[in-house]
Amino acid sequence: MTAMALEADLGVDEGAPKGPLPAAPARCLDIVDLSKRFGGVYAVRGVTLRCGAGEILGLIGPNGAGKSTLINLITGTLRPDTGAVTMDGRSLVGLTVPQCARAGVGRTFQNIRLFAHLTVRQNVEVAHTTASRHRVGGPELHSIDDLLSRMGLAALAERMATTLPYGLQRRLEIARALALAPSYLLLDEPAAGMNDTESEQLVDLIQKIRDDFGCGVLVIEHDLRFIRRVCERVAVLHMGEILTIGGPEDVLNDPRVIDVYIGGGDEEEPT
Amino acid sequence: MNTISVAEGRRSPGLVLDARLAGNARGALYLAVIAAAVGLLIMAFGSPFIVRLMATAYINLIVVVGLQIFMGNANVVNIGHAGFMALGAYFVAIFATPVMMKAVVIPNAPFGMSGVEVGALWAFLISVAMTTLIGLISGLVLVRLAGIAATILTISILVIVQGVLVTWTDLFRGAQAFFGIPKAVGPGLIILATVAALVIARMFKGSRAGVQLRASATDPLAAEAMGVDVKRLRLVAWVLGSAVVGCAGALYALYAGTINARAFYFHTAFLTLAMSIVGGMRSVTGAMVGVALLTVLLELIRIVEGGITVFGIEFPDMLGLSGLMLGVIIVTVMCFRPDGFMGGHEIEEAIAALRKRFGRGKDES
Repeated sequence: MTAMALEADLGVDEGAPKGPLPAAPARCLDIVDLSKRFGGVYAVRGVTLRCGAGEILGLIGPNGAGKSTLINLITGTLRPDTGAVTMDGRSLVGLTVPQCARAGVGRTFQNIRLFAHLTVRQNVEVAHTTASRHRVGGPELHSIDDLLSRMGLAALAERMATTLPYGLQRRLEIARALALAPSYLLLDEPAAGMNDTESEQLVDLIQKIRDDFGCGVLVIEHDLRFIRRVCERVAVLHMGEILTIGGPEDVLNDPRVIDVYIGGGDEEEPT
Repeated sequence: MNTISVAEGRRSPGLVLDARLAGNARGALYLAVIAAAVGLLIMAFGSPFIVRLMATAYINLIVVVGLQIFMGNANVVNIGHAGFMALGAYFVAIFATPVMMKAVVIPNAPFGMSGVEVGALWAFLISVAMTTLIGLISGLVLVRLAGIAATILTISILVIVQGVLVTWTDLFRGAQAFFGIPKAVGPGLIILATVAALVIARMFKGSRAGVQLRASATDPLAAEAMGVDVKRLRLVAWVLGSAVVGCAGALYALYAGTINARAFYFHTAFLTLAMSIVGGMRSVTGAMVGVALLTVLLELIRIVEGGITVFGIEFPDMLGLSGLMLGVIIVTVMCFRPDGFMGGHEIEEAIAALRKRFGRGKDES
């Protein structure tokens, strides 16, 4: 992903996003006027998203809406052209991926990316080591055993991670991200490939995570039924811009959103 | 999916670290005891030829263990280790060889090295320190590369080292043998060093850094997202591995008394690499198994190579058979056990698995 880093000198001042914003409250993820261009095409354009402390926020949008780019901008994989991302009041712009993780961004992947050749416990331990050494000012760091039992993986601790059934692998990936003691947890299509029972359990799990671990959760998902059940607020991304933000019922019944999802969303050309 | 119901795990947060240390120490102890016992038994009862064979095999084992530290944990194929072995051997030769011998061997050495002589122990320490330093410098470049590019860099390290040794005749005697090195090391010290190397490698593999490095080997992106500084950990493993391999080279020089640059080139690199792969490069136990297996097999083949008589039938000399058989062995192991003989498992894990299988078999019968 070679970003066209023409504007390498980003005019982003540390921790002080433009505009009269109040001091950021603890454990929140603030995205202000974020843009990223690939060549002449804006993948993300002027996105402002304030994810509150302990909030479960859904991010939806059709394919190519810029969801993945947004995730990559938050996690340090890509550098934004303009705009600011702050976590707990600290700017994440310009940090490397590991530095973002240490600053409190926990994430899972669209395609499960567990560490092969390592046990369930060791998978969690990789992130736990990071948190115990580098994390300051995050939520309470649970012990590995505690994490595993809260996630229902304690009995499988010594199993090789990649031998677990699919649903449990997803769950382990979440457990691993939680071992970072994240301020915000980014779940990239967590319900993908799950049956109804499994995604039902996942809804409960995500709510339990927020209560137990004190972190906010940003859920990127295609499954609108899932989003409706789990999220408190939903943001819709379309053509790299935020179309609307609001409560799940309002957003999912919004004619513009229905139009984007069902109507001519694919026919429009990006400008 | 009723896993939440079985979610009553042990809750002993304070004991996590201790359990890990204990587990690693137990694994290291197994390796140390086996290596020491086999070595000492051979020293006590073996013929001088067998003892000599054991000493070389143990030096090879140190090399393979050094190789495992980086290659096994970071999953980057390394061919440059023979170069670090050469550096260890030559640095010790330059510092430890008596001044009188140097007048014959390297009379025109630069930096006044022909007039320098330190004891074998100091020479050994200086040599390992210098090799480690070169490991650090090369490592700073190496960790920025991944996969095949990194492997190619290790090959170039090997070629550069060989080139310098062969062409800088005033200091390294070029392609001629460097002799007159004091034979300060016996098989006992080699066994001791091997045990130390095994313990270091096993403790590193099981350490927090080792686990993070192994995680990054399977998925660097996911590891970075979990806050792992992949480059730094790779550097640590590379420098530690170089130090261990340099130590093997230095011991070899002090054991053999004569060294030759050609002995530290592709042949050695590939032989030790084969040992590592056959045994299972992700496992320290695998290093031990690979060295034992290939040493014994190659020795047997060498007997056949010289022409033997079976039931009165005389077989002719079959020169080059060992090279051919080395290939056959590697291909066979790769066919049946692609992850090497140990497949990434350590000895205590293998024992536990065998016990489980044995126990289960008994239950069923």
